[in-house]
Amino acid sequence: MKRILTLLLMMLSCAMMAQDTIVLQTVEVDAEAIRRNAAESAMERKMDTAILKRLNTITMSQLLIQHSPVFIKTYGPGGVATASFRGTTASHTLVLWNGFQINAPTLGQVDFSTIPVYMTEQVALKWGSGTSQNSGGLGGVINIDNTQHFGEGLILDLKQTYGSFNTFGSYITAGYSWASHLLRVKAYRTSSDNDFEYLNICTIPHQVMKQKNGEYVDYGLMPEYQYRFRNSLITIVSWNQWSDRNCPQIMTNVSNSDNTKEYTDNGYSRNFISYKTYWETGKIEIKSGYFYEKQHYYLTSYADNGIPATQVDSHNDANVFHQIADLNQDLYKSWKLNAKIQYDYEKVISNNYDQSENADRNMLSFYAAVTGKLLKPLDLRLTLRNDWVDWDSKGFFPTATLSYSSIFVKGLKLNVGYSHNYRNPSLNDLYWYPGGKPDLKPEDGRTVDGNIMYLRTFGRFSVETTWGAYYSEVKDWIQWVPSKWRFWVPENVNTVTAYGTEAHLKLNYFINDWNFTASGNYVYSHTTDESGLQLMYIPLHHANAFAEVRWKTWNATYTMEYTGRRKTQMDPEEFYGFQLNPYTLHHVSLGKQIRKFYAEFRINNLTDVDYMAILWRPMPGRSYEVSLNYKF
Amino acid sequence: MKRNLLLLICAVLLAFVSCKNETKTFEPETYTVGTGVFILNEGTFTYANSSLSFYDFDKDKATNNLFFRVNNAPIGDVGQSLALVGDNLYIVVNNSKYIYKVNAKTIEYKDKIDGFTSPRNMYVVGENKTYVTDIASPGFWTLNLSNNEKHLVNTGKATECMAQVGDEVFVSNWSKSYVDFENNTVQVIDCENDELVAEIVVAQEPKAMVVDKNNMLWVICNGGWDPMQPQDPALICINPATREIVKRFDFTPGVDSPDGLAIDAAGENIFFMNGFYGGLNIYKMSVDAEQVPDTPLILSNGKLFYNLAVNPGNGDIYVTDAKNYVQNGDLVRYSADGTLLGTYEMGIIPSYMLFN
Repeated sequence: MKRILTLLLMMLSCAMMAQDTIVLQTVEVDAEAIRRNAAESAMERKMDTAILKRLNTITMSQLLIQHSPVFIKTYGPGGVATASFRGTTASHTLVLWNGFQINAPTLGQVDFSTIPVYMTEQVALKWGSGTSQNSGGLGGVINIDNTQHFGEGLILDLKQTYGSFNTFGSYITAGYSWASHLLRVKAYRTSSDNDFEYLNICTIPHQVMKQKNGEYVDYGLMPEYQYRFRNSLITIVSWNQWSDRNCPQIMTNVSNSDNTKEYTDNGYSRNFISYKTYWETGKIEIKSGYFYEKQHYYLTSYADNGIPATQVDSHNDANVFHQIADLNQDLYKSWKLNAKIQYDYEKVISNNYDQSENADRNMLSFYAAVTGKLLKPLDLRLTLRNDWVDWDSKGFFPTATLSYSSIFVKGLKLNVGYSHNYRNPSLNDLYWYPGGKPDLKPEDGRTVDGNIMYLRTFGRFSVETTWGAYYSEVKDWIQWVPSKWRFWVPENVNTVTAYGTEAHLKLNYFINDWNFTASGNYVYSHTTDESGLQLMYIPLHHANAFAEVRWKTWNATYTMEYTGRRKTQMDPEEFYGFQLNPYTLHHVSLGKQIRKFYAEFRINNLTDVDYMAILWRPMPGRSYEVSLNYKF
Repeated sequence: MKRNLLLLICAVLLAFVSCKNETKTFEPETYTVGTGVFILNEGTFTYANSSLSFYDFDKDKATNNLFFRVNNAPIGDVGQSLALVGDNLYIVVNNSKYIYKVNAKTIEYKDKIDGFTSPRNMYVVGENKTYVTDIASPGFWTLNLSNNEKHLVNTGKATECMAQVGDEVFVSNWSKSYVDFENNTVQVIDCENDELVAEIVVAQEPKAMVVDKNNMLWVICNGGWDPMQPQDPALICINPATREIVKRFDFTPGVDSPDGLAIDAAGENIFFMNGFYGGLNIYKMSVDAEQVPDTPLILSNGKLFYNLAVNPGNGDIYVTDAKNYVQNGDLVRYSADGTLLGTYEMGIIPSYMLFN
């Protein structure tokens, strides 16, 4: 409790201090936003595009943990990072890239460490009834989108970073934007020795050592083409990435580092073509995508005498075809219709699967949403979806959102929502050998949530805040449990109950050449299974804060992230040695614009906090990074 | 203006720095081991949350996380087995691939023996000679505890449990996950010169072994885990001298998955677990019996029995309950006739037991 108070005070204190000094940034107003009904945006938050641009060399996992209410579970730099919304797990976070699901069909999760912010222009978070368009987002949805602008001429952006542990990052965007054509290519390469020093608290006595076998190299290439004619737009995008990463040993096993070869060699290619046409009262978009994802994990260990014992060589290849037709049509007065038909086919070829089963499925979904005004200050949104898996109906999933815009206090909105959604088991759950169960039921989730939003500009000062609370129940929660034989099987075992609150605050002030921003998020998430115990690795409290000062061509930022105490096992009284202590990290940066160049110096983990995000996985202490950006 | 800026930055920094995390720090504790049983908790594979517990007979009390409390570090990843050699307790840590040597009275750390592939069990053969089985090497290690020198004896198969009769050590070949050879044999090692001298075909996955009062070797065979492959779970009695199977009790393939084998001090009764995995019951059987008892001595009643041992002093039966594998398990104590005597909380997946 004391900690919550301190946190709230912290957020308030920056708010107070900021009041006489902060600002309004250039806001990218998009036409769609104006047309949108209040109930449509009631259960979502768009990430600040200015922050996205400024932080475009970090990974999506860092962006989310530092600037959003989403919690990230990370194995450290170059390691898997998964996102969880509102105390649920990584597989309950649906990730859509330009409207297409990118959760791997195998595990049902997304590794956010493989998504550089550089490859995207927009990130939005949706929860509760905001997740109605698709199945899977029982915790929430993260939308990652690419946007382009016509008629801007040459597009050229070069960025080079270099930091501690021999970490390099090279980024380039090049292209040309004509009045009706647009061609743009983004590419990047990051690599690191990732050999930071840490105190190994598993050795006796504790020893300072360097992390071994943590090297990684990632590449990405994204060509995009757009053509607009009359009222239509054609878009073709291909997002390709490769990552080759060694897997460092956990702290107890470091003495094996020299005789263990362990790495992942993953990659994906996500391609789509979209045709969009507009008319006065609506638009329709038809798009097709082909997504390929490769996961290769290799582990060999050797004995002292050099005898190899090949242990794991796992190959998973996933192929997914997507077809979407999405219609928006104004109906009568303020009432609008959104209708969508989606067909997905996914197939996985894996040496870990039961080879006698065909690991594929057909998914068909019909969706309709109507929005409009009930009364002047009261907006309503109702949606209904009917999903079919392998030509078998999974039922109807409705949501409702009611949004009240106060007529007494300008900028104040009250929103409430109800949603019913489900999540299909992943193909690993169904076909993993041994253990996979083809007859596993989908998870069924219901959420009730509400929030208060306040968005207001007073001259030079602007404030944006959201306070929300949620309650949700997931039935038939899928968990791998010990079986009759010596392996585990997935079962629909539990009903998981999650409730909590989320607070978001953002303040802005500008005067003369000064521009101040302060923002923060605080999340309380209580998630328990039927035993009443908090699920493992889900912190009860986590928070982050961000402050930025700009003066003429100078720019300074401060970022804080806080993660509360976490348990690593399901027991009421867990031994202190196996709990994860809470930690607060501080990061600062200083940058200057010099004509078309922008130079920045960044210090991560300023106070050199020694912490673990996952039990016995070391994390880097203080580290430095310099970057130079040229933008035409 | 500049002052305001400075103030803002200072305030923000102060606010966060002042919010000191209440990181729990701890001092190593001291402990003196009495008379009782050590229980090694495996922990979750790759989580390195293995721990050591001790149940004290006189105090009727269990103490958990002994190794961590005394040495301020975890045991490692999957604590597999224990061995008591003189004043030292050895802890074999499977997936960390080392063996810890601690003072058996105080649990204070003394040494670490590195470089195994996937060590399982330790057996002291004689002075300066200890065998260590390995699940990912084609054989077992000979280890000299006075200088930690070790050498792999290649027997072509992964090795698991050991039992000695005369000058021969019998080694069960339980797994073929890493060393791809048939895992349905017991290998016979001449421990004078550490040579493989014979191989006895039993059933799939021979694991624990005990020697009875007649010097007969009993082997429990899990029977295979793969639902797509034929299975042959069995309890087998071998005459070590002739290397012939003298008794064989077959269980129901596809249903039974027997495990854990113990014998009382007199060598008259064996105890084992059978039933379906996750619902194993405990059976008691005279070594002279010609039939496996129909009714179990102890019913699982929802417990997930994981391993068992018999107190050589009074014949009490100690069983570990791994519960759901992600929460602390229990040590359950029964009298020789199966009466429940007590339940004690342990760590994650309590398994190996060693009476001191």
